[in-house]
Amino acid sequence: MHLVIISGAARARERSNTAKIITAFLKGLEENGGSAEIYYLSDRKQWQAAAEAFQSNENILFALPLYVENIPGLMLEFLEGLNPKTKKGTRIAFILQGGFPEGSQSRCCEKYLETLPKLLGCEYAGTLIKGDMFGLSLTEEKQREKMLEPYIEMGRLFCRTSCFDKKTSDAFAAPEYMPESQIRMFNIFGRTVQKIFMGRIAKKMGCRGRLDAKPYEINE
Amino acid sequence: MKLLIVNTLPKDCPEALEAVNELMKAVSDVRVINAYEMNISPCIGCNACWLVTPGICSVKDGYEDILKGCIECENVIFLSGTALNFVDHRMKNVIDRLLPLATMYIHIVDGQCRHVPRYNRKYRFGLLYLGEADRDYLNEWLARVALNFGGESMSAVPIAHTREVLPCIL
Repeated sequence: MHLVIISGAARARERSNTAKIITAFLKGLEENGGSAEIYYLSDRKQWQAAAEAFQSNENILFALPLYVENIPGLMLEFLEGLNPKTKKGTRIAFILQGGFPEGSQSRCCEKYLETLPKLLGCEYAGTLIKGDMFGLSLTEEKQREKMLEPYIEMGRLFCRTSCFDKKTSDAFAAPEYMPESQIRMFNIFGRTVQKIFMGRIAKKMGCRGRLDAKPYEINE
Repeated sequence: MKLLIVNTLPKDCPEALEAVNELMKAVSDVRVINAYEMNISPCIGCNACWLVTPGICSVKDGYEDILKGCIECENVIFLSGTALNFVDHRMKNVIDRLLPLATMYIHIVDGQCRHVPRYNRKYRFGLLYLGEADRDYLNEWLARVALNFGGESMSAVPIAHTREVLPCIL
């Protein structure tokens, strides 16, 4: 199969978690004989070519980060500019990744994505959801490879099925909610661990202040 | 009470003008930000507002006024156009850029992870939309949006029904 992959991430490709996921997914797709052309909406110069590829191909995959319960504003702007297809036969699938660990965090967006292809004159071909992806660009290479490995398998599978079936996608999204035992642990140690971990990242990125600073607090 | 209106419809849009007038009649202290003409940029996902300059967005396009307005007023009504049965990208950009109101830190609320709010505020968000959209879905979405910032939704209603949102504001 030949697939048009469009990244809806706003972050530049080299720092984009979505781009890393696309690379892993493509590896699996190609291993099974598939091919793909990829467009990154973070680069507006690619919008015209991405829109043309959408019009002239039948297998489309949008990969995107979850932005405040739905698709990023940048991707929405691109979609608004597309002409809905009049000829039947195009299928749109989605890869949706988020920062929080629970699959349930992406369900509101998934509900919208289920309706979106029809508005563009296409059929819906499923959404692959996974959380806990915030640290993808920040982790060591070995850990990153481990996080991306499941996407390689999904690429292989997609090459055979051309869709993400609900059962596979739900298993991939697990856990739907954090288990009680994990929540208890989080409530005891979470705050301290976060302060150390995020403090280190922030320092590396050049932060000099507190992460919970209130720069616009009103003193009445 | 104070009310902030963030208008992403053109400022001379008759429906927007009418809605603003109606809200001004009902609430004494109203501040309006006409964001359509500001052409608010999308969030670029740089994480600076969480990890480099906490609470401050790296994109300098006047959006800071919206953040300050939310913190000052707590009650916010968004006026939006629609696209693809949802809010349009102008409004989604405004919502995506609310991120500095939350910190990077996570806590668990009702069994789900949430970012710890940066300010001690109880935000109330309402949405008035002009155009075709899925009202039920917009309500579901807006409730989730508010939850992310430790607030609550005042509901999403078509702009022609602005009166329906008044009992939630007052």
